[in-house]
Amino acid sequence: MKALLIGLTMLGVIESAQAMNHGGMLMDEKGMIMNANSDNLPRDCTKISENVDITIHAGQKHALKFAGKMFAFDQQEWNVKPCAKINITFINDDQIRHQLMIHGLPGYLYPEGMFHLELYGEGQLQASLIMPSQKKTYLVHCEVPQHMEKGMKAQIKVDGGDGNLPSIPGISEPVKADIYPVDWTRLSMAVLLLSVLAGCAIPFFVIIYAQSIKNMIQKMLTR
Amino acid sequence: MIQRHTILLIILISVLVTIAVFVAPGLGLQQKAGIVAPVTVYNRSGDNSSIEKPCSNEHPDWRPAQVIEGVTIDAAPSCEPDNPYDIATSVKGTNNVSMATLMQTNLAQDALTMTDDLDNDGDPDVIHIKLEVVELNGASPDGEFLINTFDIAPGIQPGLWVYAPKSRGMALKNFNSVVANPLLRAPSPVIRVEQGDKVYITLENTHYLPHTIHLHGVDHPWLTAKGEDNDGMEEHAVFPGKSHTYEIQPRHAGTMLYHCHVQTAQHLMMGLSGLFIVEENQPDNWLQTFNIGAGQVRHPSVAVKKSYSQEYDLHYQSVDKKLAKIIQNANDPRLIAQGMGRDYNMTESFENYFMLNGHSYPYTLRDGMIIASENENIKLHVANLQRSSVALHIHGHKATITALDGVDQPAGMQVTRDVFDIAPAQRTDLLLQTTNNGLHSYGPGLWMFHDHVPTGTTTDGMEPGGNMAILAYKSYLDEQGMPKHHDELFDQVFNKNYYAKKQAIWGEGDFAPLLGDAGLLAPNYMQIIIFGLVAGLIIGLLVFSVMIYKRKQKQ
Repeated sequence: MKALLIGLTMLGVIESAQAMNHGGMLMDEKGMIMNANSDNLPRDCTKISENVDITIHAGQKHALKFAGKMFAFDQQEWNVKPCAKINITFINDDQIRHQLMIHGLPGYLYPEGMFHLELYGEGQLQASLIMPSQKKTYLVHCEVPQHMEKGMKAQIKVDGGDGNLPSIPGISEPVKADIYPVDWTRLSMAVLLLSVLAGCAIPFFVIIYAQSIKNMIQKMLTR
Repeated sequence: MIQRHTILLIILISVLVTIAVFVAPGLGLQQKAGIVAPVTVYNRSGDNSSIEKPCSNEHPDWRPAQVIEGVTIDAAPSCEPDNPYDIATSVKGTNNVSMATLMQTNLAQDALTMTDDLDNDGDPDVIHIKLEVVELNGASPDGEFLINTFDIAPGIQPGLWVYAPKSRGMALKNFNSVVANPLLRAPSPVIRVEQGDKVYITLENTHYLPHTIHLHGVDHPWLTAKGEDNDGMEEHAVFPGKSHTYEIQPRHAGTMLYHCHVQTAQHLMMGLSGLFIVEENQPDNWLQTFNIGAGQVRHPSVAVKKSYSQEYDLHYQSVDKKLAKIIQNANDPRLIAQGMGRDYNMTESFENYFMLNGHSYPYTLRDGMIIASENENIKLHVANLQRSSVALHIHGHKATITALDGVDQPAGMQVTRDVFDIAPAQRTDLLLQTTNNGLHSYGPGLWMFHDHVPTGTTTDGMEPGGNMAILAYKSYLDEQGMPKHHDELFDQVFNKNYYAKKQAIWGEGDFAPLLGDAGLLAPNYMQIIIFGLVAGLIIGLLVFSVMIYKRKQKQ
């Protein structure tokens, strides 16, 4: 019966609050949902401002568009209004485990400030959460070792957010950037040399044509 | 006139250069002391912040013998005992334990399913094992720190790869930490299956580079039933995000291995290797499928219990710090692939860290000890997964070889000795007897056991370190499972400054003034001033004479 209830919840047939609940955690052989919240308003919200349905794909193939990454979500940023209710459909396109964690939420609604979806393999699950009203950027990531580091990182901005988090693929720079060799060709060397020579020639040019430059400036001034 | 001036100038400059050269040795970065040598510097005074507690004593409740989910779990007196809930789940399977038990572990619900008693002897015979590949001490693009850290010794965090049972939830120990959760650690877990079981081992490659599982010495067909690769060879790599299932029904019992066979030299040295033990088929033989972190087996098999009082898995492993650094120096998988596959040259490298069960001394004291009473028969499964040979020596004891590479030795060839040579990838099963008879044991004590190849007891060259551990008789342990009366030594070695080579080795106690660090020599100001004046004069004279010469030429 318990498994059935959890299964139904994961299929989105019934709301999670009615299902069996282990300290905010729902779990079966396919995955788990932690701290889902589709009813309780944050203290600073009087009502839900909007209902946002988002579908997030996770998988290795979504990293293809980001050079130097290995895992990614299909999108890297979502913008919602203060007090928005977000209904997430989380789809794992890989044969391995992926997670969707959102951090920095108020602890009285989401223990440890965390909302957590996890799929043990290919599949999908649904859960909702309600964002507070504060203008803030929230981290969305997969916490399997090296998945965030290798690209599975995104952000949710409430009310425009308070800036970008570092190293979001395609959006923001890393704090500790990798170093790559520069492609020095004969052409680029020649350009450098030519520029140096030109720079050296400027003072001589100025001395030789001193009189005509002076005249030109005077003409421009009198106009 | 000009010529006389020139000659004078040359002589003057020569004299000055001679003086300068004579004085110069007194200005080097190093120089000889006169009669008074520099005073001793006490570099361990005051600041104790780098000293760690020898035992954090996080889970004293995990030590006693207990029964969970009907699984009997032996006592483990050591400082860091294995999580008994991991053990109960490893014995029953994630499908046969309660949600409450599973919640006490970090295992995913499909990590280990055990079903179908095919031979009707009271234990499950169809076993599905799922493994992931986990990076420890890896890089982050988000700053100058490592993530999913696992310290092998105080302050030592080499980049490592391990197989881990499929886990769930946070990979970090807690919310405000970069430390890996206890399931994610070196070495790769010991896997135990029963002879004749149908075992399906699924590699779910959570890592960013391709890997495989090769079942070294384990009876397995070359192809799966579907006709796919079953030998884990390089050309059948499992790429990131993909999974592959290997199928076995081993007919022969013994101590075997599993390891990655992609870029084998590098991937094995990164830590993708573990013990794979096939246990004899016996009735009601519920095996502890995973022994996380190796070491004591708290739920031994039926056959082992018949002849032995205790069982331990000893996994010897080494790390080349240059190889381990590659995954910490870059984040881009292409750069890591290039760095490890082409730039790094193993034929020009060394082993720097030596680990027993994932830890180097002094951390081996926390979970790498063999804890014994008198008159015990203890089974040791020793595997050499390092690059060089191991010459295992147990102080105060002579043990007996019962099997080599998973094949039992006939009675007449069961050699008793005190150094066991184990080549890379070899396994030796030992019978360790704690009978105080002057041959098998010299009596109770805190007896070290270690690789007798000299490098093996060092950590990047620092002694004592490496795979050194202790065979401890219970009466010599305190209530936290740590050796008694060793506080001074613990203060020295449970200290990252010691292994960072920042401290004098005998910098404390009566001999500290004699064996502490020598201080610096005071500079000799007289020599500095003379040299400065002379050198300045030489340069001035040269410039001056050049100017005069040019002016003369113009005239």
